[in-house]
Amino acid sequence: METLKSNIQNNKQLYMLVIIFLALFILMSILSPSKFLTSNNISSMMFQMSELGVLAIGMSIVILTGGINLALSHSSMLAAIIGTLVMQAMVSAGMNPLLTILAGIIVIIAVSLILGAINGFFIAYVGVLPILVTLGTRSVFEGIGLNITKGSALSGYPPEFNFIGNGVFLGIPFPFLIYVAVIIVSTLLIQRTAWGMSVYMIGGNVKATELSGINTKKVLMGVYIICGILCGIAGVIMASRYSSARTDYGSSYVMQAVTAAVLGGTDINGGEGTIIGTVIGVAILQVISSGLNILGVNRNFVDIIIGAILIAVLTIRFFSNINER
Amino acid sequence: MRRALMATLAVLLILSMLVACSQTSTSTPPTSEPEQKTPVEETKAPETSDNNGQTGEEGKVWKIAVMPKLIGIPYFNASEVGALKAGEDLGVDVQYVGPTNADATEQVKMIEDLINQGIDALCVAPNDPAALSPVLQKAKDAGIVVLDWDTPANPDDVVYSINQVDQEEFARLYYDKAVEIAGKDDFKYAILTGGLNAANLNNWIDLGLKYAKEKYPKLELVTERIPTDESQQLAYQKTLELLSAYPDLEVILGYSTPTPLGAAMAVREKNLNDKVVVIGSSTPKDSVQYLEDGSLDAGLLWDPSQLGYLTVFAAKEVLEGRELKDGQEVPNVGKVTVNGKVVVMGPPSIWTVDNAKDYDF
Repeated sequence: METLKSNIQNNKQLYMLVIIFLALFILMSILSPSKFLTSNNISSMMFQMSELGVLAIGMSIVILTGGINLALSHSSMLAAIIGTLVMQAMVSAGMNPLLTILAGIIVIIAVSLILGAINGFFIAYVGVLPILVTLGTRSVFEGIGLNITKGSALSGYPPEFNFIGNGVFLGIPFPFLIYVAVIIVSTLLIQRTAWGMSVYMIGGNVKATELSGINTKKVLMGVYIICGILCGIAGVIMASRYSSARTDYGSSYVMQAVTAAVLGGTDINGGEGTIIGTVIGVAILQVISSGLNILGVNRNFVDIIIGAILIAVLTIRFFSNINER
Repeated sequence: MRRALMATLAVLLILSMLVACSQTSTSTPPTSEPEQKTPVEETKAPETSDNNGQTGEEGKVWKIAVMPKLIGIPYFNASEVGALKAGEDLGVDVQYVGPTNADATEQVKMIEDLINQGIDALCVAPNDPAALSPVLQKAKDAGIVVLDWDTPANPDDVVYSINQVDQEEFARLYYDKAVEIAGKDDFKYAILTGGLNAANLNNWIDLGLKYAKEKYPKLELVTERIPTDESQQLAYQKTLELLSAYPDLEVILGYSTPTPLGAAMAVREKNLNDKVVVIGSSTPKDSVQYLEDGSLDAGLLWDPSQLGYLTVFAAKEVLEGRELKDGQEVPNVGKVTVNGKVVVMGPPSIWTVDNAKDYDF
C-alpha cells in the first residue's frame, strides 16, 4: 500500500517534470525557431547532456542513500589522467590503436572504481560523513592530478579515441548512446532489484535497515563503487570529447549534478527519487542552457533562471506533500 | 494533475519574465533585430566584397562573439567595456558571453551553442587550449572566423592570436621592477599565483624564474609558487603565513589580479609596508588604496578594455578580408606589433600611486 502510494506520488512528480520539459522545449522553439529547433542543435544538446547525465545518475544513487559525492568530477579526471598516461605510453610504444583505446578505457574505469571504493570505505566502514570524506578526497584527487599534469592538459590519444565523445552512430551522438545504456542499466539495478531496494531503505532509515538484517556497510560500499564506475564512464567520454585530460575539467558538474538530481525529484535526505527523474532533470537543464545561449542571454541570468526553477519546483513539491498528508 | 499544470505554468511565468528582463539588460542592441540570414552565406560574402563601410550594402551587420575565460570579475568586465565600445564604433554586433566559472568544458558547450546560433567570428580566451581544440575546428568548419585573445589557443585553431603584452617582456618586468624598488639583487622572495592550472600565469612565472636565474642569480625563492584560487582572501591568508614562516622575506610577486591585493592587505596588517615589497598584476582602481600607503609597491598590467577593443577590431578586419600589419595604428589602442599570427598590443602599463587613479577598471 505504502509503495503504491509513493508510486503514484512519484508518477505525479514525473508528469510535472515532463510537462516542464516539454513546455520549455516548445518555448525555446518558439523564441528561436530557426536556430533551436534544428538537427544541429538537437544533436549538440545530446552531446552536451551525456557527460553531465552519467555523472548526475552517479550523484543520484549516492543521494538516495542520504550521501553526496563532492569528488565526482575530480574522480573522473584523475582516472582519465592516469588512463591518458597509459595510452600515451602505448602510443609511443607503437601498439595497436584499438588495443590502446581498450586498455585506456579499462584503466580509466578501474581507477575510478578504486577511487569510488576509497570514498566508500571511509563512509561505510569508518563512518565519516559523506560530505566530509568527499570534500577531502576531492582535494586529494585534485592534488594528485595536479602533481602528475603540473596543471596543464594531457593529450596524445590514438585518433580513433575521438569517436567515443565526438562520433555519431546511426545518426545519434555516440556519447548519448552510452548515456542511454547507463540509464537503462542503472534504472534496472536501482528500481528492480532487492539490492536497489536496500539502497532506498538506507536513505530512509539506516538503523532500521540494519536491524532488518541488511548489511548496510556493504550496500553503501557498493553504492560508492557504482558511482565510481559511472565517474569513470564520464571520464572516458570527457577525455575523448575534449581530446585531453586535466584536473579541473567538469568541475562545474558537481553542483549541476546535485541540481539535476534534486530537480528530478530525488530527496536530498535520501530514500526517495528515480533515475528517470534525474534524466529529465538533466534534460531540463540542457534545454534551458542551450536555449538561452542561442538567445544570447548573459550566463549569469542562466544561473539565476536555473536557480529560480529549482526553488519553484521544490516549493511546489513541499506544499503538495503537505496537502496530501 | 491540475496542481502539476498550475506549477508548470508558474515556472514558465517566472522563466519568461526572467528571459524578458535579461534581454533588455544585455547591452547588445542588435540581437533583437529580426535577422534570419543563414550564417554560411554571411561568412562567404566578405571575401568577394571589399566594402570597408560600416554595415555593408544590405545593412548586414557582422556578428562577433567575444568569450572571456569567465564573466563577472573586474578584469573581464573591463574588457567587455572595450569590446562593446568597439562594436559601437565599428558598427558590428558584439556579443560578450562566457561561463560563470573558469571551466573549459562550459566554454566548449557555449561555443557549440554559438555555432548553432550563427555567428561570423568567435574570439575566445580559452581556459584550456587542448580542450577547446575540437570545438574550434568545428567552428572553423562552420565557416566561422576564429581568433584567440588574452590567453592563446592552439595556433592551428586561430587566424590571429591577440596578446596583451609580449610574454617574455612582461615576465622580466616583474624582476626588473622588484630589483629596482628593493634597491638590491640578493633578496629573498616568494611567488603567489592565481592557480596552478592557469597556463598564462605558469608561463610568466616560468619565464621569470629562468630570467632571474641568468640575470639575478643571487635572488632566493623561499618556497614553490603558492596557489590562491584567484581569491584575494586566500592570498591574504597565505601571505600572513608566509610572513610568519619567513620573517626575512623581502619581496612578494603576485600573479593574477586578486593576488597582489591580498598580499598587500597582509603586509599592511603586519605594518611591513616599508620592509616588504609587493609587486603584481593588479587592476589600478582596486590598487589605489594599497599603493597610497605603500603596502603595494607597483601594479603591472595592461588595459583590458583596450584588449577587448583590439580583439573586436582584429575580428572585423579579418571578416572584411584585410590583414593586420606590423606597426599598424589601431584607433583607441595604439601601435600593435604583428608577427605571423601573433598580435601584441603594446608594452605593459605600470601603476603607481600617481597614475592608478586615472583608470576606471
